[in-house]
Amino acid sequence: MKQNNNKAHKFGMVIDLDKCTGCGSCMVSCMSENNVPFKEDESNKKDSITWMRVYKLTNGKSFPDTEIAYLPRPCQHCGGKGDHGHSPCVSVCPAVATDYGYDTGIVSQIYTRCFGCRYCMGACPYHARYFNWWDPKWPEGMENYLSPDVSPRMRGVVEKCSFCYHRYQAAKDTAYYEGRDDIEEHEYQTACATACPAGAIVFGDLNNPAHQVHQIVKPDPHPDPRNKHIVGKSRNPKVFRLLERLGTNPKVYYLSEREWVRKQGDNYLDGEWDKIKNYHGASSHD
Amino acid sequence: MKVDRRSFLGLGLGAVAGVAVSPIGIKLTDDSSIWSQNWPWTPVPVDGEVTYESSVCSLCPGSCGLSVRKIDDRPVKIEGLAGHPVNGGGACLHGISGLQYLYDPARVKTPLKKNGDKFEEISWDDAIALVAGKLADIRKSGSPEKLACIADKEQGSVSGLFQRLLKTFGSPNFYTMPSLESYLELTAEALHGEGMTIGFDLENSDFVLSFGAGIIEGWGSPVNCFKANASRKERHAKLYQIESRLSNTAANADKWIPIKPGTEADLALGLCAVILENKLFNSMAVANFRGGLNKLAAALQKNYSPSKTAEITGVKVSDIEKMATLFAKAKMPVAVFGKGRGDGAQSLKELAAVHTLNCLVGNINKKGGAFVQLKSDYLEFPDESMDSIADAGFAKNKTGRYVSQLIEKVNESSKPVVEALFVYNANPCYSLHDAKSVKQAVGKVPFVVSFSSFLDETAKEADIILPSHTFLERLEDVPSGAGLAKTVVGLTKPVSQPVFNTKNPGDAVILIAKALEGSIAQSFEWESYDECLESVAGGIWDSLSEDGYAIISEGIPSGFVAVNVSYLADNPATIQAQGDDELILIPIDNMRLINAGIAASPFAIKTVSDNVLKGSDSVVEINPLTARGLKDRGYATLTTPIGKARVMINLNEGMMPGVIGMVKGLGHTLNTKHMSNKYVSNKGINVNDLIGPVIESGSGLDAAFGIKVKIFKA
Amino acid sequence: MSERENKTENGSMESVGEGTAGEEKDDKGLGLGVIFFIVAFVACFLSGTLLFPKLLYSKKEQPFNFDHALHVGEAGDCETCHSFREDGSFTGIPKLATCLDCHSEEVLGETEDEAVFVEEYVVEEKEVPWYVYSRQPDNVFFSHAAHTQTAGMDCVTCHGHIGESTSLKPYEENRITGYSRDIWGKNIFGIKKNSWDRMKMDDCAACHKEETGHKGYCFQCHK
Repeated sequence: MKQNNNKAHKFGMVIDLDKCTGCGSCMVSCMSENNVPFKEDESNKKDSITWMRVYKLTNGKSFPDTEIAYLPRPCQHCGGKGDHGHSPCVSVCPAVATDYGYDTGIVSQIYTRCFGCRYCMGACPYHARYFNWWDPKWPEGMENYLSPDVSPRMRGVVEKCSFCYHRYQAAKDTAYYEGRDDIEEHEYQTACATACPAGAIVFGDLNNPAHQVHQIVKPDPHPDPRNKHIVGKSRNPKVFRLLERLGTNPKVYYLSEREWVRKQGDNYLDGEWDKIKNYHGASSHD
Repeated sequence: MKVDRRSFLGLGLGAVAGVAVSPIGIKLTDDSSIWSQNWPWTPVPVDGEVTYESSVCSLCPGSCGLSVRKIDDRPVKIEGLAGHPVNGGGACLHGISGLQYLYDPARVKTPLKKNGDKFEEISWDDAIALVAGKLADIRKSGSPEKLACIADKEQGSVSGLFQRLLKTFGSPNFYTMPSLESYLELTAEALHGEGMTIGFDLENSDFVLSFGAGIIEGWGSPVNCFKANASRKERHAKLYQIESRLSNTAANADKWIPIKPGTEADLALGLCAVILENKLFNSMAVANFRGGLNKLAAALQKNYSPSKTAEITGVKVSDIEKMATLFAKAKMPVAVFGKGRGDGAQSLKELAAVHTLNCLVGNINKKGGAFVQLKSDYLEFPDESMDSIADAGFAKNKTGRYVSQLIEKVNESSKPVVEALFVYNANPCYSLHDAKSVKQAVGKVPFVVSFSSFLDETAKEADIILPSHTFLERLEDVPSGAGLAKTVVGLTKPVSQPVFNTKNPGDAVILIAKALEGSIAQSFEWESYDECLESVAGGIWDSLSEDGYAIISEGIPSGFVAVNVSYLADNPATIQAQGDDELILIPIDNMRLINAGIAASPFAIKTVSDNVLKGSDSVVEINPLTARGLKDRGYATLTTPIGKARVMINLNEGMMPGVIGMVKGLGHTLNTKHMSNKYVSNKGINVNDLIGPVIESGSGLDAAFGIKVKIFKA
Repeated sequence: MSERENKTENGSMESVGEGTAGEEKDDKGLGLGVIFFIVAFVACFLSGTLLFPKLLYSKKEQPFNFDHALHVGEAGDCETCHSFREDGSFTGIPKLATCLDCHSEEVLGETEDEAVFVEEYVVEEKEVPWYVYSRQPDNVFFSHAAHTQTAGMDCVTCHGHIGESTSLKPYEENRITGYSRDIWGKNIFGIKKNSWDRMKMDDCAACHKEETGHKGYCFQCHK
């Protein structure tokens, strides 16, 4: 398909788990930005809708050697095997309510097409998708703070993190009006990245060497020689992706100096971690 | 012709065919699908022009700069304000969910008057007249000092107006809730002299020794501290966290030193002992100590040898010695005090002991150290007019030094020591220890006026509620009082028209004063609070109104700072936990909840883990070793000398054996028969219903760090 | 047996009778069926085509008439009132403030409509509740800047010759969906002659395909 003159973007983020304080600002900023509803009792985390969710990791040791860390998990906007756009959720949606955008790398979710079969929720390995079991209801008067840039959902519809795509739309709007072709790094930032008080979330175009996320992650554009399905493996030894071996090619990278945290990126059987922990993709490419 | 089956069939088939070929089919299908997407109860937010307005948050003493995004003058999103000197962009989850406070339908919408056990709505004029009438009666009775006021802080113009009202009325009884700022001032007073305060240059320090301070859990100015902590990696700075449990700060630190609860003061003194013994102190700094050093050194040698300290605190001797050495030898070390958020109950011995470490290593008013300077005084109120009643009343002694003492006095006297009580931006019936007894005390006061925006625990005990605007609806100066290295005053601006019939609390005070007439009214000649603010903040008004903030002081303070360690040299006793059971219950400060008095927003509560709140049950943290017989996610009953509660269990290796942790900020009861707030109310237990005050001898502060507790399977 | 005989006697005889006579009769029967078929077919088809739109759409009158041609002459072309903001977003239907750039509590002309406007809206400081013909559902994001600035399209392509009208046509509201008839198109079959006759997603997609070679990604136009 014909693209614009510019090279395709690949929006992604890197989250520094050493800077993350587990404060939850990203969660609240996301919910506020995207008209996410809230219920009277949100302690059942199976049906609590949080597009961005902060998980607590632990090294599993007992007192006083216990260690914990926090891991914010938005939708990973998987590129699918080989990064060809066959994200697990996109591949199973019977209604094409979710689709992969090759121009931005963002997996869209169109609420009006979704009829709530929840196949995508089963397919997503990251539990990043949430279902509206009930009609969202806001206390009287609170509907005033809803943003017109994001469509409020009705019941029976799946929703998920959109990398604040409406902000991309708004940034493009401004760029078009000013006669520019493309948008700057600071013009399109997700709500969670802007909100993070510790600056742990860095968002940008992984394909653009001038963007901070590219400079931290240093993604390998070639497939991993050990597993051809994996593309974009980070060449930074401190950076990892969740469940990378599945070949989902997520665009959310995580950074930590602590090895036990990096090991949480997947379930490793005895001995597996040691085989891969120092492997960072093909070393023959630049 | 006979109309038979076939013709009927023909008719039917014809009709079907006709309809099928007509556009009805496609059009109705398309329309039905659109109809099924557009239920009338699904909101469709109206689009409009986007504008951004800057303001400052005043939910906590942090005072972060905010940027509010508005659609056609309707605020829709709050974010941190880039470039603001306090937070430099980024805001905590409570500030971001500020709009949920603004639009909360459970807010107090108009002045209320207590009638029996219900509240009835009254007009502002009636409410002000009632309050002024009652106050005038008190004045006539000859004891104006029986008007007391509990506010959140001393600084700022609104607090200044409350203080002014009390002074011109003739009462010295102005109290503030315990806050990090008040503790910084008390510590400064103990060691350096009256009128001083302390700030910490965390973003430059290369070795932060934190005694339980929740640096990434809301201590100080949260965002500012988050940023200082996040830059540690690049600056190669170290954080050592001394705490009984693996808090988020401890987990993020370079080293976590588990310590028996309540022994932080002893550890600090133990470290002082090592520093003095091994001559690791900064000799120039120490040479300038004004008093008590020799006595202190002797006392430390006797009572806080490394082995004695190890026994008291549970910290190994080697760790004590290593920590002291690392701290003293660091280039820019700083010791930080104030457990958790630094508010609530703190021990002056502990605060002073930790700060003495700063004095010994000579980081006072050095880069990366503790900044000690005079309290900022940027407001210029004109002199008050005092009549003879006011002079007489104001000259009397305060009923107690601190608010906990006031509550105690009220409870133990049979005759009213307080005739009227104003409560502003505080919720003592929730956030003070032994909340029940505080409720009892407030209930005893004949006339209580609450200025709260919400029907909180204290407001429910009030006779009149004069509801205040939320911070998004009012103009106000917001000084950052939370241990920052710089002093900044922000300007919170109204980003929304008032949603309900509320007032800026400053306006309410001015109206009350005017209604009281005489010298009181003369001292409040401003037409409105906005006018008052512009005039009393005259010196910084240009900066405030143009930039949204004014920097009062920045950089390393100059001038000599005296150090006097006599308080510690007298070896005050370390307080013990009340009760005589084996286990100890400690409160936990959770970033996602609010201790101070207002309830956390629905968004914030939504983020709270189900290991902290499950349904309407508080979940307590307990080490598996301590929890013999208790199952994870099972129920148990906690019993303390103050109260009893049913809780859920979370087996957690991060908690020290022998200690049980319960989060602060839950257990709000904001419901009445008429207004309910099910989103944030009746969730979990208020830990202050289980922990009672323990008064520290010498300082008179409630220094209870926990309480002995029994736990049984429920 | 007797029944069978009866049947054979009566039934089959009749049917035989009917069969033979019925062939003529059948023709007539079939014919009747066919006639009924045709009648029903035509009736239903016509009601679907002609009656159905009348039932489906309700006509709503605008608060008062707005003379586009007059205003284009007096104030300027489309962009004067339907403008872009600094951030590139489109103002859409102008707010009262835009009208007040020229209008005030004193009438400028002599029309009844302006009188209504001044009395009920200018004086009361109330926004005029216009019915918007091109109103799209909430899930649509449309960037005017991308189309009029970057793609250089002109207003008429999608909105028709509204600017030349002296009166606002009545707003025909679809009783089921609540949207204007202009979205599906005046033609109930959805057949369009001009580019501005319809504004459904397929119309956008068709033009996108033609101009850019790609129908567009979901998130380009949806939110």
